[in-house]
Amino acid sequence: MDIMEFKTIKIGKNNNKLTDSIIKDLKTSKDIGVLKCIQCGMCTSVCPASRHSEYDSREISKRVLEEDESLIYDDIIWNCFYCYTCHSVCPVGNSVSEIIQVLRQKAIINEEFEQIVTFLAFGESLLELGIGSIPIEYYSELIEVIGNDYPEFKNKLDEIREELGLGSLNLPDEDVKDIGNILEKTGFKDRLEKIRAYKKSINSEQ
Amino acid sequence: MKSSQFSRYAPKSSIDIGVFLCRCGGNISDTVDIEKLKNSIDAKVVKEFENLCSIKCHKTIRDIVLEENLDRVVIAACSPITHKKDFQNQVAPLNPYLLEMANLREQCSWVHSDGDKATDKAIALTNAAVERVKYAQPLETVVRKIKKTAAVIGGGISGITAALSLANQGIKVYIIEEKPTVGGNMIKIGKLFSPEKMVEECALCLFNPLINEALDHKNIDIITSAELMASERRAGNFDLLIEKKPRYVKEDKCIACGKCADVCPVVVPDQWNENLMYRKSIYKPFPQSVPDVYTIDEENCIKCGKCADTCPMNAVDLNMKKEIIPLTVGSIVMATGHKGFDFKHRPEYGHEKYEDVITQMELARIMGVNGPTKGKLLTPSTGKVPDRVVMIQCAGSRDEKPEGKRYCSKVCCMVAMKHANFIKRYYPDTEVIICYTDMRTPGMYENYFRYGQSKGIKLIRGRPGEVIDKDGKLVVRVEDTLRSEQLEIETDLVVLSEAMEPSEGTLKVADKLNVGLNEDLFVKEKHPKIKPVNTDVEGIYVCGTAQGPKDITDSVSQANAAASKVSEIMNGGLEIEPIIAEVDHSKCDMCGKCINACKYKAIYAYDGRVSVDPIACNGCGICVSSCPEGAIEIMGQTDSQIFAMISGMLKDKKDGEKRILAFLDYIGYVAADNIGINRISYPESIRIIRVTSINRLMFKHILYALENGADGIFLGAYPDDMVSSETKEKVREFKAELIKNGIDPDRLMYYNVYAPYFRGLAAKFDEFDKQVDMSLDKYETILSKASSKDI
Repeated sequence: MDIMEFKTIKIGKNNNKLTDSIIKDLKTSKDIGVLKCIQCGMCTSVCPASRHSEYDSREISKRVLEEDESLIYDDIIWNCFYCYTCHSVCPVGNSVSEIIQVLRQKAIINEEFEQIVTFLAFGESLLELGIGSIPIEYYSELIEVIGNDYPEFKNKLDEIREELGLGSLNLPDEDVKDIGNILEKTGFKDRLEKIRAYKKSINSEQ
Repeated sequence: MKSSQFSRYAPKSSIDIGVFLCRCGGNISDTVDIEKLKNSIDAKVVKEFENLCSIKCHKTIRDIVLEENLDRVVIAACSPITHKKDFQNQVAPLNPYLLEMANLREQCSWVHSDGDKATDKAIALTNAAVERVKYAQPLETVVRKIKKTAAVIGGGISGITAALSLANQGIKVYIIEEKPTVGGNMIKIGKLFSPEKMVEECALCLFNPLINEALDHKNIDIITSAELMASERRAGNFDLLIEKKPRYVKEDKCIACGKCADVCPVVVPDQWNENLMYRKSIYKPFPQSVPDVYTIDEENCIKCGKCADTCPMNAVDLNMKKEIIPLTVGSIVMATGHKGFDFKHRPEYGHEKYEDVITQMELARIMGVNGPTKGKLLTPSTGKVPDRVVMIQCAGSRDEKPEGKRYCSKVCCMVAMKHANFIKRYYPDTEVIICYTDMRTPGMYENYFRYGQSKGIKLIRGRPGEVIDKDGKLVVRVEDTLRSEQLEIETDLVVLSEAMEPSEGTLKVADKLNVGLNEDLFVKEKHPKIKPVNTDVEGIYVCGTAQGPKDITDSVSQANAAASKVSEIMNGGLEIEPIIAEVDHSKCDMCGKCINACKYKAIYAYDGRVSVDPIACNGCGICVSSCPEGAIEIMGQTDSQIFAMISGMLKDKKDGEKRILAFLDYIGYVAADNIGINRISYPESIRIIRVTSINRLMFKHILYALENGADGIFLGAYPDDMVSSETKEKVREFKAELIKNGIDPDRLMYYNVYAPYFRGLAAKFDEFDKQVDMSLDKYETILSKASSKDI
């Protein structure tokens, strides 16, 4: 028989570490209503990820309030694709999509690279070009979804931009260098290196 | 020395003052040397008594006043809060405001144990009262004479209830209703529910008799199709201008036969029926409308004249003009009501898009026997009885998103239960689902909620995110949060339990009357607990949903409360303490600064003059500081009285003696008395002066005190009143001025006082006494350093 265990809420101890860290995180809005969530489920009712997968926005908010740290290592947090619909309907100003961003950062800091590894190419592009363009790896998938218009658009993009007087999409070398410096100083480069190494290790395992 | 300022106010030389000292059965005389005190007072008569408050002494006081022909009286005894009123009555025929009290018990003998020091302080306190009473002026209690007439704005259940109550108390009432019929929102609701009975009742059957009673009442005039255009306050009354829109039908001739509507060619949506059906341009909102006459709506009428030709009574007059009706009333009741939430701000619920997404008010019309379906529950698009109805709670309420209402609209849970039960009773095959976040059914309503559950109403705990059309079927998307299931509920009818928001009339009338609103734009009460029907303008009261979301029961209670408040001022003959602002019109140049500064909305301009409403005025004195011409005085707290009090308190200061003046407001003074009652001690240096508000003080008073021997200034006030932010600003200003004048700002302290926390005040007195010592030491050191350098 299961015996229910009470969680002791000790005086003078921070019992809301996860919640607090999310509220205070730079990525979340200043007045995010995490603590105001009353589990009404409005977010879930409109969430496409919730409709098409095991993901449940309300459940994310609930597990945060329960201080469930295992959420950081739960693959479910990678199902959100930041459409912000939950954010736009929440009647108390909570934002599961912002919560998810913090949780993912925590996962990466804890070197949980399994899910982020597919996004590696975005980081590479940032380093290489100074902008986050869609990596070539994804082209075939995009053609599958969008059709042949996509490569045509891609091929003619420079032409179109010129016609519109927008100039080249490529940043000047100096700027790319500047961005590279920033990325190095902020630790982005190191992190990317770790993810690369991780990718190598799983590739060699296979 | 700036005493020149003060000497201007010097009183006439021959004023005969009588000082009556009370031993208080030893309470004062055990600590204070009464003999010494008696010999230190300069007055025509000085007498001591064992118990001044005894009946025997009362008579003696009066006898002495008459025998000695006294001009002024000082009672040196207990706190004025305890007995001042009694003593004021005893000095008649002397004007009661020519009496001052020195508080020798609560603020001297009970808080100090050193007899010599207490005696010195008692002498100072008594002298201060003697000084001050020289400047006292005879004042008359203000008796407000107001017209025994009231305007009730809004003819819904609240307005009609208030009007009937007033009329029955002999007060003439004008009901001003903007629509062509009275009845408001309540008359549109088909069924009502009272928690005592598990049955829905007919709203019209309850309300109509009240409307008819109002219609027939000799003290009530109902003015429909009318709006408030302007309002001016004058001597406690209100001058109103009412615009009555032309009805184009003579009310005294129309017999409501309806022949005009039969021939009218113009068909428009019927707003009274929530646009669910059509009416003609000449119409009567509903069969039981009051007044029972037809009306032409100006926007849609094409003036073809067919109605006029048909009317057997010649009642139609297409040339009718608007009418301006001037009214002077003694009081106003705002009963301007609410409106339903506008769903264009929540497009996700599809109210604007789908015919079968309706509001609870629309459902009420559908289920009303005088409504579009004659009371049958029919789906608008198909005209069939729905198999399933889904109700969405908190639609627009409890929503922090822009355009949402942050508050709970308080009635929607009951409204949904009522309609759900009603549907279950008459259409048992129709399934009713209520999607809720919390069911809030307080008090007896919980019974009705349980009753609904037992009748098979389904409840899903979850807040729907959207209503969509899926393959021609309405679908409500919601998560059942208790089961963690995402649902798409197919339904024939969606009913949104709409938020209540203030009606446009509420906003317009509040603007015209200069009545304050809260952040949700409902009329703000003067105090939510103890003054729930007063607005921030004296003489204007509020009831019903104009003040906030509420049900009919609460609206009726509030309407009766508002009526009794009006009756109080009209039937009670209100007398007010004359400690209020008075404007010297010869100095006033009508700049209007005082009007803007007054937090009590007591000052207004009328007929080219600034006037003060004696009932609204608190005597706080903000206006005095705001007036660049020095044209305002607070009666009983004039500059000269304050200066006299200060100089009296500082008189005969000995070498090395320290004196601190503590200016306290009413609550501060009560707290100080409580220190005495509880026999807690504080330094003898503290001398308390009661003021109406810290805002009455100006820097000239502070400077005068410091230049004439005060070592420190203590300011204490209750912080949660209407002028607290001004008080804080005042203290900042004083500190800045002190620095400018080369005086250590540490010699002034401000403290928030709460009546029950008198111990805190006593501790602060101690603390400040030490702070002043330190400040003076600092000063001495600087002085000595400077002088040694000079040498």
